[in-house]
Amino acid sequence: MRTRIGLALVTLVAAFSLAYAQKGTLEVAVDQAPVGLDPDIVTAFSSFAVVNEIYEGLVGVNAQLQIEPALATSWTVSPDGLSYTFELRQGVKFHNGREMTSADVVYSFDRIMDPKTGSPQASRFNEVAKAEATGPYQVTFTLKEPFAPFLSNLTNLFVVPKEVVEANGDLQKVAVGTGPFELDQVVPDTYVLLKANPDYYRPGEPKLAAIKFNVVPEASTRAAGLRTGTYQLLPTVDPVTAETLKKTSGVTVLGTQDLAYSLLGLNTSRKPFDDPRVREAINYAVDRSEIVQAVYLGNAVPGGPISPALKDWAVPTSDFPCYTPSVAKAKQLLADAGYPNGFSTTIITFGTIKEVADTAQVLQAQLARVGIDAKVDVEEFGKFVQDWKNSNFDMFVSLNGGSVDPDGYLYRTFITGGSTNVFKFSDPSVDQLLKQGRTTPDTAQRQAIYDNLQKQLACTGPIVHIAYGTLFTALRDNVQGFQQMPTRGLTYLRETSLP
Amino acid sequence: MIGYVARRLVDLVFVLLGVSVLVFLMVRFIPGDAVEIMLGANTDITPDRVAALRHGLGLDLPIHVQYWNWLTGVLHGDLGTSIWTGRPVADEILARAPATLEITLLALALALVLALPLGVVSARARGSAGDLVVRLLSIVGLTLPTFWVGVLMLLVFSLYLPGWPAIGYVPFATQPLGNLARMALPVVAVSLPMIAGLTRILRSSLLEVLGSDYVRTARSKGLAERPVLYKHALRNALIPVVTVIGVQLGYLLSGVVVIEQVFAIPGIGRLIIGAINQRNYPLIQGIVLVITAVFVVVNLLVDLAYAWIDPRVEYE
Amino acid sequence: MANVGRFFVRLRHNRVGLLGFVLATLVLGAALLGPWLTQVDPLRQNVLARFQGPSLGHLLGTDNFGRDTLARILYGYRTSIAVSFGAVALSTLLGSTIGLLAAYLGGWIDRLLMRLMDVLLAFPIILLAIAVLAVLGPGGTNTALAIGVVYTPIFARLARGPALTVLSWDYVAAARAVGASGGRIVLRHVLPNILAPILVQTTLSLSTAILVEASLSFLGLGTQPPTPSLGLMLSQSRDYMLISPWVSIFSGLAILLASLGFNLFGDGMRDLLDPTLRGRDV
Repeated sequence: MRTRIGLALVTLVAAFSLAYAQKGTLEVAVDQAPVGLDPDIVTAFSSFAVVNEIYEGLVGVNAQLQIEPALATSWTVSPDGLSYTFELRQGVKFHNGREMTSADVVYSFDRIMDPKTGSPQASRFNEVAKAEATGPYQVTFTLKEPFAPFLSNLTNLFVVPKEVVEANGDLQKVAVGTGPFELDQVVPDTYVLLKANPDYYRPGEPKLAAIKFNVVPEASTRAAGLRTGTYQLLPTVDPVTAETLKKTSGVTVLGTQDLAYSLLGLNTSRKPFDDPRVREAINYAVDRSEIVQAVYLGNAVPGGPISPALKDWAVPTSDFPCYTPSVAKAKQLLADAGYPNGFSTTIITFGTIKEVADTAQVLQAQLARVGIDAKVDVEEFGKFVQDWKNSNFDMFVSLNGGSVDPDGYLYRTFITGGSTNVFKFSDPSVDQLLKQGRTTPDTAQRQAIYDNLQKQLACTGPIVHIAYGTLFTALRDNVQGFQQMPTRGLTYLRETSLP
Repeated sequence: MIGYVARRLVDLVFVLLGVSVLVFLMVRFIPGDAVEIMLGANTDITPDRVAALRHGLGLDLPIHVQYWNWLTGVLHGDLGTSIWTGRPVADEILARAPATLEITLLALALALVLALPLGVVSARARGSAGDLVVRLLSIVGLTLPTFWVGVLMLLVFSLYLPGWPAIGYVPFATQPLGNLARMALPVVAVSLPMIAGLTRILRSSLLEVLGSDYVRTARSKGLAERPVLYKHALRNALIPVVTVIGVQLGYLLSGVVVIEQVFAIPGIGRLIIGAINQRNYPLIQGIVLVITAVFVVVNLLVDLAYAWIDPRVEYE
Repeated sequence: MANVGRFFVRLRHNRVGLLGFVLATLVLGAALLGPWLTQVDPLRQNVLARFQGPSLGHLLGTDNFGRDTLARILYGYRTSIAVSFGAVALSTLLGSTIGLLAAYLGGWIDRLLMRLMDVLLAFPIILLAIAVLAVLGPGGTNTALAIGVVYTPIFARLARGPALTVLSWDYVAAARAVGASGGRIVLRHVLPNILAPILVQTTLSLSTAILVEASLSFLGLGTQPPTPSLGLMLSQSRDYMLISPWVSIFSGLAILLASLGFNLFGDGMRDLLDPTLRGRDV
């Protein structure tokens, strides 16, 4: 009897603390199970989809790609651009009930920078000298030199509770954050269940009582599940499935410009790709609009080094002469470089993303037109990642993730020795511009630098940029309030509701 | 008989030992490294850290030491620990076994229930149009790839029977009806080749028995056709059917691996495909060892049952 | 040669076997003569002409890249037949040799070889094929190798049983006793007597090998694009079933045709070559 009274009391208290009703379980279907949940360790998109609901940073990104307050309510930048001071939101609680303070922010930063953590986020903060708690609700970051992308990089600094990390070693299997949803249950290869955080600080959010990320590997099965109503949201839908779902009643398909791009990567430490004329020839050989039609069914735009979604930064492709396909020019350039009869080479790629493997097939046919005989090797994904990391390729076709700041697109990828410069590309003038771009605070000056960089990289860089696809999300008509993000993030699940 | 059983058991131990060596070697020869793949596209990690991770997993030891450690663990009932989840391999397998076991057993049952009448009808009406239809259909059944049948059925159901819960898995214990509804399509898809295979075997073995001397004798004694068929012929004709069930189970399992992928069923098939993609060495080894052990034991039991049913069988 | 002639005379009276023979010949013909039967390049893409149904220009329509489905099926037969023939040839040779050796030598060698075969047979076929391909890497030749390894123990068992029986026959035992060489005994006496079951199993294995190749392609391990193989075509076309089902339908029918041919021919052969074999389906 006592337990029943206790239960009733708990229910009563819970009911009063909620000024609104959280209801419904949103059934989401994803292609892969998350591989670990530690926001500072994971790299897989399947993990971030879940992690993003559980953890938050000082600042966030909205659907228009603008930086907006999250755990910090406001911030000031010193005139020399070297010091950022953040005022934290007060009364924010971790899912374990403890209040979040400035000490947690400093701890989270130090954890990322600690080599023992092995965090892939660490290189984003190399320009930061230190983070200090300058008050219980105030944190100050001191930079080594002015660093324009700092705020957008800061969206990747998730605030984690020290005691949970210490009790578990890492956060791969437990998850305690400040986000709108908390981890309820993980059933491997089956689903991840999140439930609403009743203490979330944004009024009226989240609106859902729970989200279930169902793991469904087959694309046609996910589509069938959405048609029958088994699932209510498919976060990423390939263009072919999107076309068929558009015609299905009761289903809405949303589309937005993706920040990620498909690319043909060239190993500039190997012949003949060390010759810029060969790289330019390949650009002339590639017919991007044909790939857009064949692979994306028209749902993509040819693009350069920066996504057209970053309207303030991207140079229109009409400014890149090599984006007008020409077999004659390609052959001329190849002949100039000493390959009048073309050459034989290998393209490695992987099969888990259909658009990627399909792009490789179309590229193979296009390269054949100018005498380049490319063998396509569809590798198993794990092997591909290793070959990619170790620069063990002539050419590869893949999909590269994007960023909300041009520095995120270009720096790590093109700087000499950069962490994702697997092409072994090295060009002193590019290096210099990349450094200027990140240390120049003035936006207009930065734009000029990045315009210059894009024109330098588009035709003779180590990457043949192919296309920025339309990112499709499909949902049942009864799902309200969801907005798509070009970053592929599911931030707006907190505003999503079911009737 | 006892000597035969003992010898088979000794052989069984050697077979399993061989399997364990083979699996262990194959897993190590798969290109790609467990630690590298676990780190994924993370390019910021230091070599020290990679070495530490490898050491923590015991992957820096010489290969024969690794094998010995694993084997002694297995003999003590410890299949090791999954690299990615940190859970015991035995737990991982036990968690997935029910779904796979359920599909397999239901498909086997369905195949037996359908193949018996089909085989009898086909054999009795040998050469008739009905016989031809059954024979052709049974070849079609053997021909259609399971994944294709699965995708097609899912498509048809989602278009014309959208209310049917066709995808995913719920345990029988919590939702008996939901479980059976979700099992229906995968079970049919997986059992098609087995129905076809068993029908063919039963048909030809019935024909053989019906043409044999003792059936002719029974007939000449004036026994009616039905008792001859059901009391004498069918019982004898079933013997080869029983013996191939063990082999057929292997084929069935192949279908299950594929169908779990199509219907998003968290079974052993999904587990091993994921384990291979992750180079999750202990998990791959554990799954293959357990499955082959089950498989070998089932085949032994089938052989023993066969010897017991038909005393004429000589033990080699 | 006379035996072969008699076989075909008898085959004419076995309608099912004859049908199988005709189908199998058609399929083999398509595989061998594919490049001469169509002028169209199976790899030639024409994006503007994609997802077409059958027409005079493309008799069986086009796929998602606008490639001609008929040309791809003809070339696909080449790949699939090459994979399945390669696999079955490998397993037949390797398996029968092992089976014969085991039977002839007997003793601990027999037991060792057959237990080794049991080890291979203990693996469910798909797992063994996946494991072999994981080690070798995906691709057509490796798929043939993987399937070949998987099928080897079946042939070893199939060869050993009848070989043991033949070796126990009085006149063979006598030949052995007077010192006839091992090779001679095996070639002259044993091989002819075990050929029938092996041939039958060979034709049946051909059709299942095509299917295994298809399943491996579905899992991404079999033949790699853009090489057309029937299994790969069937597997990849599943994404387009709602947009344009033609590739799926025609590649499915092509597999059915091949499988039907080899199966029926195998059935017919079994009926004709060895009546005692009936009912011993493997």
